[in-house]
Amino acid sequence: MTMTSENVTISSESQHPRKLRSRASSVRWARRREVMREVLRNPLTVIGVVIITLFLLMAAMAPLLTEANQPDPYQSPRDWANIDAAPGVEGHVLGTDSTGGDVLYGIIWGSRLSLQLSLTVVISTLIIGTFVGSVAAMRGGRIDNFLMRVVDVFLAIPELIFALAIAAILGPSFRNIILALAVVFWVKYARIIRGEIIRVKQTDYVAAARVVGDSTWNVYRKDVLPNAVTPLVVQATLDMGNVVLIGAALSYIGLAQAGLTEWGAMVSAGQSGILAGQWWVSTFAGVAILLWALAFNLVGDGLRDALDPKTEGR
Amino acid sequence: MQVRQYLIRRLALLPLIMLGVSIIVFTLTRFTGSPVGIYATPDMTPDELAALEERYRLDEPIPVQYAYWLWGLLRGDLGWSGVSVAPVTDVIGLKLAATLELALFAALVAIVGGIALGTIAGVRRNKAPDHAARFFSILGASTPTFWFGLLLLIPFYLWLDWFPIGRSTPEIFDTIAHPTGLYTVDSVVSLNPTAMWDSIRHIILPAVVLGFGAMAIIVRMMRSSMVETMSEEYVDAARAKGLPEKLVIKRHARRNALVPTATVIGLSFGFLLQGAVAVELIFRWPGLGQWVTSAILSGDQATIMAYVLITSLIFMLINLTVDIAYAYLDRRVVLGS
Repeated sequence: MTMTSENVTISSESQHPRKLRSRASSVRWARRREVMREVLRNPLTVIGVVIITLFLLMAAMAPLLTEANQPDPYQSPRDWANIDAAPGVEGHVLGTDSTGGDVLYGIIWGSRLSLQLSLTVVISTLIIGTFVGSVAAMRGGRIDNFLMRVVDVFLAIPELIFALAIAAILGPSFRNIILALAVVFWVKYARIIRGEIIRVKQTDYVAAARVVGDSTWNVYRKDVLPNAVTPLVVQATLDMGNVVLIGAALSYIGLAQAGLTEWGAMVSAGQSGILAGQWWVSTFAGVAILLWALAFNLVGDGLRDALDPKTEGR
Repeated sequence: MQVRQYLIRRLALLPLIMLGVSIIVFTLTRFTGSPVGIYATPDMTPDELAALEERYRLDEPIPVQYAYWLWGLLRGDLGWSGVSVAPVTDVIGLKLAATLELALFAALVAIVGGIALGTIAGVRRNKAPDHAARFFSILGASTPTFWFGLLLLIPFYLWLDWFPIGRSTPEIFDTIAHPTGLYTVDSVVSLNPTAMWDSIRHIILPAVVLGFGAMAIIVRMMRSSMVETMSEEYVDAARAKGLPEKLVIKRHARRNALVPTATVIGLSFGFLLQGAVAVELIFRWPGLGQWVTSAILSGDQATIMAYVLITSLIFMLINLTVDIAYAYLDRRVVLGS
């Protein structure tokens, strides 16, 4: 396949930058459509897309699939008559845990928590990271230097440990896990967007827009940012999965409230039963985490591959 | 010349970043409150507790406390580790050695597996073996290590009893000397086959779990460099002179594809140190990860500080090495063309 790569060599003298800008934008969209087609030609990516769709449906239809537990639907309903029931026991397709909590119910409502976790963390860190990275790259000089040293400091601490420490300080709750991950995850985006913006700033079309006397904000908004966001999309897709992986590790360690239908907490709850042969709670909850992370990693990997000029078109 | 200047600049920044890291983490941990509980015994009176706070200067403002901590660090005193019931400096070396040993074995798993899968994927690009190899490696990156470890323990520990948990059998390991702190190396040095077998049996399962997670990044790099080298002229030349395809791949394409992959292996080592946390918890491996987790959960601030300091230092040194390797490779490319 061929990529439309002529997008931004603006040497055609007579055209006004405004026109060029709208043309650049349509070329950009054409290229994006091309990339999407390329991505969907990869069978692994298609598998990922299918799994994500199923998870989204599951999260959306949770109240229809199971009867929501009152007052808190994110706590499994307790069936005290069926403790540690094996999968298949009437009413419990995937069995129950040591307090009679239904595993299937936990997995279905857990998908909502995973969605909430990943969306909140990824969107908020994208905004913070893009802001910090943009300010650094657009202003340059001392501000850039200072912000990048802050980024270095954050990057020097292992993500999981940093989040673990923050979550532990804030106290065990799911909301604090989200908060802790948001504090940790923005740094990568700041670094990526800064590098991209510095690259884009050196291109002819940005110079052209400057020459015409456009304001820095306009140049940033219309020329720089749209051409710099692609690597962020890849990273954000991968992080939709990574965030859930790390979040699950945190609640596995014991930083979510007890009995929550969060998959990592469920693995932890089922752990003690394993010695007695009750493998189902941990196994099924872990499979849910695995599938979630796998789906987003497959799609992210496919995207990265389609956008990578190194492997493109060979 | 440029590389050297860059290196000096980066090395000069290193202590500054470490200072920033320590300030952030110190302030964060002190927000949980005074760590006096680590030093106190249950039968202490409030007066005795106050005396204890004063003795460790926990009644001072946080910046003053930080200054004392920093002063202690400069004198080689990292405080008292409550979870280990010993001075931090006494145990940190042992913990580091345990984690390094685990990370090295896991790296071995990831490197061997990653290069093999990456080669297959690159040679058979967009064919079934490529998809299979990539799927397998992405599966590794998507598997929650704490869960995978648990899952492997059921058959191999519970049912078959092939692999024990922990790091060693104490009765065996008390009998040999430990010059390096890496048990596998120590047992080889002391020429003790029982100890060798024991140390290998203990490390296989956690190393496989950890290495599986780190494999994806190596497979990805190896694959894309293989795709690149396979279309080089020297590969065509090797084929043209009648070399069997196997040798063309092995001697020409793969050997050259290994160069960029080597830099990624450095990066994956950083990942291994981080991933070790969950693996150590599951397999009761007495390393840094297990140490810091129990410290975080029990408010043992001296241990947390020591951990963050040592891992961030390792992290940054790895990144620096990788950057230098890239710069070196780039220069070679320029010189070669």
